[in-house]
Amino acid sequence: MVAQALSHPLSRREVIAALTIAVLAPVCGGPLPASAAEPAAGASPAAPPETTWAGIRGDIFGERAIGEAGDVVAMEAPARAEDAAMVPLALRLAAPEGTTLKALTLVIDENPSPVAGTFTFGPGRTAFMLSTRVRVNSYSFVRAVAETSDGRLFMAKAFVKASGGCSAPATKDPAEAASHAGEIRFRSFAGTGQREAQVQIRHPNYSGLQMDQVTRLYTPAWFVREARVSQDGRPIFAMEGGISISEDPTFRFSFEAAGTPVEVEAQDTEGKTFTATFAP
Amino acid sequence: MTARGARAFARPRLWRALGWAIVFAAVPALAQPGPGGDGAALPPEEPAGYRLDAYRAPTPATLAGARVLSTPQAETLWRDHAAVFIDVLPRPPRPANLPAGTLWRDAPHASIPGSLWLPNTGFGALAPETEDYLKSGLAAATGGDRMRPLVLFCQRQCWMSWNAAKRALSYGYGNVSWYPEGTDGWSAAGLPLETAEPR
Repeated sequence: MVAQALSHPLSRREVIAALTIAVLAPVCGGPLPASAAEPAAGASPAAPPETTWAGIRGDIFGERAIGEAGDVVAMEAPARAEDAAMVPLALRLAAPEGTTLKALTLVIDENPSPVAGTFTFGPGRTAFMLSTRVRVNSYSFVRAVAETSDGRLFMAKAFVKASGGCSAPATKDPAEAASHAGEIRFRSFAGTGQREAQVQIRHPNYSGLQMDQVTRLYTPAWFVREARVSQDGRPIFAMEGGISISEDPTFRFSFEAAGTPVEVEAQDTEGKTFTATFAP
Repeated sequence: MTARGARAFARPRLWRALGWAIVFAAVPALAQPGPGGDGAALPPEEPAGYRLDAYRAPTPATLAGARVLSTPQAETLWRDHAAVFIDVLPRPPRPANLPAGTLWRDAPHASIPGSLWLPNTGFGALAPETEDYLKSGLAAATGGDRMRPLVLFCQRQCWMSWNAAKRALSYGYGNVSWYPEGTDGWSAAGLPLETAEPR
């Protein structure tokens, strides 16, 4: 039958039909083999399944309704991360009329400890910009869930292709990283016309999933658990962090240079407290 | 209508389109460079020692002293209960010192039914604790019989199964097979997987 079909020239319509079948056949032929950790590049453009989210959502937010992001929360995240151990996330929050911002929770579905961090904001804040860097362990949805003062939740999400972020070896020598742990840097970008500032807390932020190259055992988790940034005694934001915040936790955030000092206080999982005050 | 036109009209157009579809579909396959050609991914040579990093990468075609199994060969051993299957896919345990209340979710893992999962035993260098875990796991799985056939696997293009099979040979196991396609090749062949927990 095939040989017979080939013995005659094809009309243009037949050529189009043939090409269409040839192109679609491999896709329609069955599920593409792909390992769980590394879905085939350029596979289905359809949204990946959210089964993991369905399993963890209740553990994080209970039965509470979670609304669409709308204009309340917007997130920028790379579709494919250059470095899975340092995936930049940028969040912009704007509370609906008549409310203020209360909290922001970052969730990385496929990380074994999915809650990357929870941020809370000083009273009366209606808009906020925050960016930080996180570890992404395998192809995953990253979610930013904002809570407003009236108790409503709004979620933005992005699918990030990255793998191995939680287990990637630390970039710094362990002894050196430990000796500088807790050093805090502050920088205001007011001079460049941007109402933003950045805080960096030097810390290896060990995830507990990184293999020690000498002992060949997992390095115990050791990370910044809490951080508080305030200006002249008034809180700007506070963070409760987990193992998914990248080493040397860094936060860029909305900031009005008001000629007043900035205070940063942090505590790690070993109970060490680090503080610094930066004069205007 | 000419005689030729009438013949073309009478012939089912679908079959002609399908015929050409097969030809077009085959073109990319034919265009692939053959073994040894430019861009052909020849399997890497076997290293003398263990692979120490970059575990997700093309693996050698061989492992000295071990048999290398295709999926049908692995399936036969599995159906005949003729070998002990050992999965070495890594999965870090929950760190012991996480703050109370930290949400933790181990990534679910589906493995070959009846296999024994010994995670983290396929790294190129093992801590003494991990090596003990591998040795005791193999001993338990084989009932202490070093001639009992073993099949070591993880996923496709994962050196950890290669390392683990090499290590089993070093322990004196005399009938070691390495199944490089692992759970990827197994499921692609339509064979069953079931949820596994580490030993």
